[in-house]
Amino acid sequence: MKCESCNKKHATVHLTEIVGNTKKEKHLCEECAQSVNTHLKKIPSPTEILTSLINQVAPEINEMSKITCPVCGLSYLEFRSNGRLGCPMDYTIFRKGLIPLLEKMHSGTQHVGKVPSRAGKELIKKNELMQLRNELNKAVEKEDYEKAAELRDKIYELSGANDENQ
Amino acid sequence: MNFQAPTMKISDLACNTGEWLRGTGPESDIVISSRIRLARNVARFPFLSRANLKQKKEVEAVVRDRIRESDIAPDLCYINLSEISSIDRLFLVERHLISREHAVGESERGVAFGKTEAISLMVNEEDHLRIQVIHSGFELREAWKTIDEVDNKLEKKLSYAYNSRFGYLTACPTNVGTGMRASVMLHLPALGMTHHIEKVFNAVMKLGLVVRGLYGEGTQVSGDLYQISNQFTLGKSELEIIEIIESVIPRITTYERMARKAIVAESREQLEDRVWRSYGMLKVARLISSEEIMHLLSQVRMGVNLGIINDIEMKTLNELFILTLPGHLQKLEGRELDSTQRNVIRADYVRKRLGK
Ligand SMILES: [Zn+2]
Ligand SMILES: [Zn+2]
Repeated sequence: MKCESCNKKHATVHLTEIVGNTKKEKHLCEECAQSVNTHLKKIPSPTEILTSLINQVAPEINEMSKITCPVCGLSYLEFRSNGRLGCPMDYTIFRKGLIPLLEKMHSGTQHVGKVPSRAGKELIKKNELMQLRNELNKAVEKEDYEKAAELRDKIYELSGANDENQ
Repeated sequence: MNFQAPTMKISDLACNTGEWLRGTGPESDIVISSRIRLARNVARFPFLSRANLKQKKEVEAVVRDRIRESDIAPDLCYINLSEISSIDRLFLVERHLISREHAVGESERGVAFGKTEAISLMVNEEDHLRIQVIHSGFELREAWKTIDEVDNKLEKKLSYAYNSRFGYLTACPTNVGTGMRASVMLHLPALGMTHHIEKVFNAVMKLGLVVRGLYGEGTQVSGDLYQISNQFTLGKSELEIIEIIESVIPRITTYERMARKAIVAESREQLEDRVWRSYGMLKVARLISSEEIMHLLSQVRMGVNLGIINDIEMKTLNELFILTLPGHLQKLEGRELDSTQRNVIRADYVRKRLGK
């Protein structure tokens, strides 16, 4: 097979390029392949695709442009230009701007997959604490201080024994 | 539990490959491997793009130590990527143990992997942690089982960034939710030859899946090797995503087998000639470029699958796709090589492996 570009040398390089949903083949000699290589790399990167998507969805969300995350200092505009979030809190801070974007990228905006057992445990703990606090309030109302002290210790115990790694 | 000494390991690796290339498992004539990756971040740190050097070092130390304590595999070794050469990093990319982005990253970062190379854990890639499991053949569900267990073990030690609305929180919103990327590597030479591959891409994209080359995002397709993976990570569960991929793969493999049969029926001599010429080239050539070898290996691999060639093992062929890559050749020679030198050594190496 002859090189498709110079038509002189033997084609030893067989490139396949995916553009959109079509596949293009190129058969080239090594020299021509070297020169063509730089231009083949121009397939947009996922970041480029993402930022263009952000810019499609984002303009109508003008109010977002004033928001900056108090935790990591990332502004919504910075996120728009580089497509990367700065900290876990950004999902809450930029929620309004993120949801239309997530709608376009994913098959929904509600997580339905795996739940870390820690998150499950924390939820249970939260509910338990809430219940204990209610009981404590009732005990105080009834002026049952013995019971209240008991409940207070339980609450301390439960809320203090968390975050073993932090 | 401690990590194994890594320096010894890297050169030990150069003359063989990970277990996922052994060419076994369901549909392994067409499906080379099944891979699952999970993106995870530690709750109390910023994502890497907003972390300062001190925080990056801290993340690296915390995640590395928790991996070590988690009893994931008995022979796990840990490599700090800033302490090894660029050839070593290229070598790890070629083996699919780290990503291309991880190889060129700047901050404190590392990778842990075991002897079989089925599990690897990238620390401070785009996210604080990327867990990866690769199996040989079409075994996504088994890969999921393995990675789910690894993730559970780590989750006991690490407080992941997670909320109930968006799931696992990631640096890039394209990975949020499950944080899971499941992919299957396919060898589809006949669909390429008969130009039916576009139909496959169309069908696959309608299901929300994407097609990529051998080394993932933005890479060219070579050796007729394609990776099919999920585009979205949020709104469906891990198993639902796996089911979508599982449902499409048998259709593609059937299609590839049909295309092979059609080629055999219509032009057996031409096909046999193509296969034998490629095999001959591998056995006699003195200079082989990295692109050419992919093409030749692809033809021979199909020839073996069709029973045209009988004296070469699938494992050997699968391995040659990786062992003849630039980083591996340089590691094998123990020095830096320019592209002409590599072409000579590549040809020598293949002749030796295929010679009697
Ligand atoms: Zn040319
Ligand atoms: Zn933030």
